[in-house]
Amino acid sequence: MNPEVWIIWAAAIATLGVYGILYRENPVSRLFEHIFVGLSAGYFLAITWTQNLEAKWWTPMVSERHWTWIFAPIIGLLFYFIYSRRFLWMARLVMGLFFGVAAGQFFREFFPLYWPQVYASLKPLRAHPKVGEVTALGWGDVILHNWVFVVILLTVMSYFIFSVPHEGKAGRALGKSALMGRWFLMIAFGAMFGNTVMARISLFIGRVQFLLQDWLGHYVHWLAQRGM
Amino acid sequence: MEAAAPQGFRQRLQQLPRGFIYLLMALVVVWQLLFPLPMPISPSATTKGVYDAINKVPPGKLIVISADWDASTEAETGPQMTAIMHACFRAKKPFALLTLSPPAGAKLANDRAVAVAEQYGAKYGVNWCNWGYKYGYENIVMSLAKNIPATLKSDFHGDPISALPMMTGVKDYRDLGLVIEVTGLANVTEIWLGFLRGPFGTPLAAGYTAVMAPGYYPFVDSHQMAGMLVGAKGAAEMEALVEHPGDATRIMNVQSWAHLLIIALIVVGNLGYLLARGGGRR
Repeated sequence: MNPEVWIIWAAAIATLGVYGILYRENPVSRLFEHIFVGLSAGYFLAITWTQNLEAKWWTPMVSERHWTWIFAPIIGLLFYFIYSRRFLWMARLVMGLFFGVAAGQFFREFFPLYWPQVYASLKPLRAHPKVGEVTALGWGDVILHNWVFVVILLTVMSYFIFSVPHEGKAGRALGKSALMGRWFLMIAFGAMFGNTVMARISLFIGRVQFLLQDWLGHYVHWLAQRGM
Repeated sequence: MEAAAPQGFRQRLQQLPRGFIYLLMALVVVWQLLFPLPMPISPSATTKGVYDAINKVPPGKLIVISADWDASTEAETGPQMTAIMHACFRAKKPFALLTLSPPAGAKLANDRAVAVAEQYGAKYGVNWCNWGYKYGYENIVMSLAKNIPATLKSDFHGDPISALPMMTGVKDYRDLGLVIEVTGLANVTEIWLGFLRGPFGTPLAAGYTAVMAPGYYPFVDSHQMAGMLVGAKGAAEMEALVEHPGDATRIMNVQSWAHLLIIALIVVGNLGYLLARGGGRR
């Protein structure tokens, strides 16, 4: 039999097995969950060797005689001294090294990532004609986009000012702004939740399509006729 | 007893059995897959941004498609990937696949690229290539910006990267015309933004699962990203732009009807709540 057919049958049985959880917790869906986890772990190890370690570490060290690469796994293995009270300091050495690298990378990443966001938040609040490369901005665009943006930005930021009591004239104004901000946040969360539902249904449709098209469509002529 | 019956009905409207809802959803999905009632698809500004960014890549520059997804999100990211590849081949822009994480992305994206390339008569190593799965996240992107061949060493098949004709003369970030990040993982885009788009100005676009897309709209608004595909909807819009309707178009037809069912169920639940509250007041 064509190996492709075996693969499709295995995938179909695994799909149905995992969806068995919808009925209730059962050993079959658990079994397929564990198979999936095991396969992922095994695949990760294999592909890390073939796509990374072999070309970048093993071949240079063994074939090209760059023997200093031997120190790379030795440094990595120092992590395991975390289990030894006596040699814990060696694990700390390598952890400190990694913490330093990660902190430095984060610092470098932060500004190019978020500074343009701050700059982009400063939007024009009145219409202007086209000047050089800058596109003309009509009142419709300004009110629809920029005013809405700025009002939401300020009210949502005001929601996160927790150190000022909502008392007195200024405090009550802040309270109203914070309430508006809260509503905007709720709308944003609603949009996110709607997208989450859409994503989950997409995944379900993808699996049903696989079952109808690739699995059953292979055997049922009527399904194949329907483009399945 | 007579008064209890309508109250029970109102309660039941609010507490439809889970199995019944799953069954309804499955029926709607199967019905629409077998007897589709097509809905119109009009590309959004964010999708057009991705399409335009691909077409604007200058000749001689390479597009990198970062395939950071696996089977768990393939229903959304897979069609996005295919539609992006169609756009690249149609515009005759060479592209390279790369996977930062998860590892399975390299193989899944490769299978799709082989299938799409066949339709255009495109050749591996000339019109497209697969750099494979490269472990190292930030370190890989930082290193790619400075020296692409030394960072990659070998392609997906284990062959030396320098042996690929399309990689001749490709040295560093200056040879990259666009990076398209297709992912179901949070925090991978940030690596491209922070270590390539920010410091070197290489254009960036993306394709996301619908769950994570709302968090990335600010990056499109600030022009840090040229555009993005939002879930299967974004993939369907891209399929419309490349005039190649595929899996995403079919998924979106079904999706629309599934959403109508969910809206109907929300209305039914709230109706039950309002009826029960009204009954309680009387």
